[in-house]
Amino acid sequence: MIVGFFLRGKQVEAVYNEGLLWQSIITGFSLVMGVVSIVRVHWRKLTARNDGAWYSAVLLLCFVVMAGFGVLQGTGRGTRYDAIFNSIQAPMMSTMFSMLAFFIASAAYRAFRARTVPSLILLVTAVIVMLGRIPMGQFISDDLPTWVNWIMTVPNVAVQRGILIGAALGGASMSLRIFVGIERTYLGQ
Amino acid sequence: MSKPRTTIWDRLQHIDRRVLYTLIFVSVIVPVFLPLSLPTAVSPESQAFFDAVDALPAGGNVMFAFDFWPSTTAETEPLAVATLRHCFQKDLHVIGLSNVGMGGPSIADRILHDIGDEYGKRYGEDYINLGYKAGYQAVLLGMATGIGNIFPTDHNGTRLDALPLARRVTSYDSIQFVVVITDNIMVDYWISLVNAQSGVPMAAGVTAVVAPKALSYVQSGQYKGLLGGMKGAAEYEHLLNSPDKASRGMDSQSLIHLLIIAFVAMGNLGYVVTRRRDAGPPRDRG
Amino acid sequence: MSELFSSPLVTLLPTAFFTLALYSFLYRDNPLFRFAEHVFAGLTAGYYVGLVFDSILVDQWWVPLSQDHKWILLIPGVMGLMLFARFVPRIGWTMRIPLAFVIGGTAGIELVRQLHGIILPQVSSTILPLTTFNAVIMIIGVLCTLIYFFFSKPHTGALGWIASAGTGFIMVAFGAHFGYTVMARVSLLIGRIQFLFIDWLRLSS
Repeated sequence: MIVGFFLRGKQVEAVYNEGLLWQSIITGFSLVMGVVSIVRVHWRKLTARNDGAWYSAVLLLCFVVMAGFGVLQGTGRGTRYDAIFNSIQAPMMSTMFSMLAFFIASAAYRAFRARTVPSLILLVTAVIVMLGRIPMGQFISDDLPTWVNWIMTVPNVAVQRGILIGAALGGASMSLRIFVGIERTYLGQ
Repeated sequence: MSKPRTTIWDRLQHIDRRVLYTLIFVSVIVPVFLPLSLPTAVSPESQAFFDAVDALPAGGNVMFAFDFWPSTTAETEPLAVATLRHCFQKDLHVIGLSNVGMGGPSIADRILHDIGDEYGKRYGEDYINLGYKAGYQAVLLGMATGIGNIFPTDHNGTRLDALPLARRVTSYDSIQFVVVITDNIMVDYWISLVNAQSGVPMAAGVTAVVAPKALSYVQSGQYKGLLGGMKGAAEYEHLLNSPDKASRGMDSQSLIHLLIIAFVAMGNLGYVVTRRRDAGPPRDRG
Repeated sequence: MSELFSSPLVTLLPTAFFTLALYSFLYRDNPLFRFAEHVFAGLTAGYYVGLVFDSILVDQWWVPLSQDHKWILLIPGVMGLMLFARFVPRIGWTMRIPLAFVIGGTAGIELVRQLHGIILPQVSSTILPLTTFNAVIMIIGVLCTLIYFFFSKPHTGALGWIASAGTGFIMVAFGAHFGYTVMARVSLLIGRIQFLFIDWLRLSS
């Protein structure tokens, strides 16, 4: 992959492209690993007739239905697979995440206390940004959106950039560790 | 020993969560029936995104990445819809794809067809949906030398050489701009793998959680513009002069922000007063 | 009657049912929520099977193999199957082969990506002439943040002062991030409420 970035030429590009395609195919197989585990766990629960076994039956039934539609009828537009996803699955995912609005409000109310100077800075900045990003903020001050924009594009970017650079250096060093064989935890060692 | 009296300052710190949840629910509902129609101020990053797409010549090719999970469609779908409307208004050709397996290609298909029908665009000629392939690093790098290397067919199983647009657009060399709508780390990968190595200009629409980090890429010039969350979508709708769900949602957003600020302020007020009370009177230094 | 069955009130009923079943958790855990939760988990597992079969096995592997006679694709096919060897203890070690291939390839891509795509552009847009107030704040902020996260030396003396300044910058950034996070989560709730009251019940246009 590194050679493919630096060198050009038909043979190099052919090997590089083939490697990328193989990587894509093998990664696709790995997506099903989690599915195998979840099916095994719930099959055991169902056959053992534990408490809540009927929930496992519901799960396995939905799995068979969805997988069956996907394999037998395809996953394109207008298929039952696509319809079930759009009408049931996607809205359920949205709903689960939307509950975070209640939890974040409750957590902010209970835990957000200005006990120290750094926490006071955090609290004040959060309030300014929350006010500046809503239309009503302009009624408080016409300059509020400008201050918020300055906070986001100068001190915030400075910190995010510092974190990005630090994380990128860490990522690059991890890649080098994998190359020289120091890092082998992915092999279970 | 007698139980200490519970004052209003103590109660301010322990309001029942069901009261809070109810107030949040009411704050969202009220603007649905009583729209406030508050004005929208456009941020420089949103204006830059709009200007970058507006500057593209008619007939240009835009790669449109629907790289978001179904869980964040409340923010990302209005972003995708608004920017896609602009692309079709400008008669740009759109090559859609998704690097998120869970629902990405289905959502991309639905949005592309819905907005495409709105503007009388034809699938295969004016827009296509490549679908999803696993391994986003391999996908982004592989398309540099040939889109067909990674995507032999489109999302519906049609071979790419049967689609007129796909015959013309074979790699990043044929693409004038990339629009990335995402709620995850793909905002980093498009910049660092595609913009850095192939030089294709791009702009991003991201959820508000990702926006603070993505601003670093705007400031460095790697992204031409940035739309952040539902507010960003509302700003773009305002620039297009076609208010939709995002503009509508900003009313509820305003009320809930004020509510949360009020609750945090109440909690801190109660905390400061009770802390002073519990610390006792100042000691005599005499 | 047929108008009722084709109205959003009926066609969107399954969507609304599961939405409300999940929201019932806000009151307390209950059988309806658990039922919806297990339906979701089952559908998600089935979704991935359909996705992998159609998008990867058929489109990316079988079609080029059978129609274009690209026999070399047998190798990644076999390697992909090797991943499942972890469920058979006797041949479980073979799983390391495709894993090493993917991890090695990813490490190569990441090394170039991090250096060329992130570090170089970000550093070059930080090292600017100090002719404006913003440029001064930017470079001070980046340096203070990097020094704050440098733990190989104790934060004492001058290093301690710079790390403290870094703390201040980080608190501003985290406060801004918190404000944006609240905005994001609230937007998700607004989306679902818009669905329930506008798309489903049609109580508002």
